[in-house]
Amino acid sequence: MEPGGTWLDRDSGPVVRPYALTGGRTEPASGEVLDLVAVVVAVEPPEAAEDSEPVPLTPEHRRIMSLCRNPATVADVASDMALPLGVVRVLLADLLLTERLSVLPRRPADEQPSTALLKEVLHGLRAL
Amino acid sequence: MDSAPSDDTGGIPLTIFKILVAGGFGAGKTTLVGAISEVRPLRTEEALTSASVGHDDLRGVAAKNTTTVAMDFGRITMSNHLVLYLFGTPGQERFWFMWDELSYGALGAVVLADTRRLDDCFPSVDYFERRRVPFLVAINCFDGAPRYDPEDVRIALDLDPRVPVVLCDARSMTSAKEVLITLVEHVLSGRAAAGQPAAGAITSAGG
Repeated sequence: MEPGGTWLDRDSGPVVRPYALTGGRTEPASGEVLDLVAVVVAVEPPEAAEDSEPVPLTPEHRRIMSLCRNPATVADVASDMALPLGVVRVLLADLLLTERLSVLPRRPADEQPSTALLKEVLHGLRAL
Repeated sequence: MDSAPSDDTGGIPLTIFKILVAGGFGAGKTTLVGAISEVRPLRTEEALTSASVGHDDLRGVAAKNTTTVAMDFGRITMSNHLVLYLFGTPGQERFWFMWDELSYGALGAVVLADTRRLDDCFPSVDYFERRRVPFLVAINCFDGAPRYDPEDVRIALDLDPRVPVVLCDARSMTSAKEVLITLVEHVLSGRAAAGQPAAGAITSAGG
């Protein structure tokens, strides 16, 4: 979209600035920035905890919870939500802090992949 | 909705590899990612930090404190514990703050070249060389574009002799697959040559 004096229509996307959805917060409440391909999944809430929600959930939080019924990466969630990555990270951090979501363990991004793992990638590609 | 990474990995830690697809505007990044996986859009609206201020010319836009980057990505699920993500990286140098995150722990990168605008590859080649991200150059053979010998392209881009230069048709799944296979083989051979792993050798902060 070129900046200029044109009126915005529905195709221009939401008129609300993206970070309005986070109450203006641009940093995750936990201070920890989730990796782009970190995998998150919804945690089944204990029945009793529903009454005493420390942070009220916004519709966006609820949509993320529904998307994360199956494990999904941060990139997947941002794409499915059609929201900017930074916004989704703030919302995900809220849900992680209140233990509605958890991050699945995976091979650390800075760990050297084994030769066996690389060969597995090769086989996987050849089988496509 | 396509299936998501599974948490049922039978005790094997989940591995998600990133491969970056870089290159100039119009070089065929989205086409290549789309040839081999379902392409999905990803948008970032990053608050400008010192990392990006240097790249964004802020004169006359004092109120602008975020910058939008649109890119594409695709996913290839290989097994219940191995998933490959392809990210089409925004070509312009002003998005380098995003590249740092994308390249953190990346398995490798494909630099797509359009022989009509070979200069557009330079920022990507420079970046991956400096970050020691294993990469190859894939010449996207556009209809009507002049054909060059890959060795000529290697010389024009001043590439290390070990960096593979291949011809491809970004629209073809077979061709896109061959490009990725060559890249992973390059990562493996780099590791064998150096006696140490070549992939994921980035230690700076990123994600």
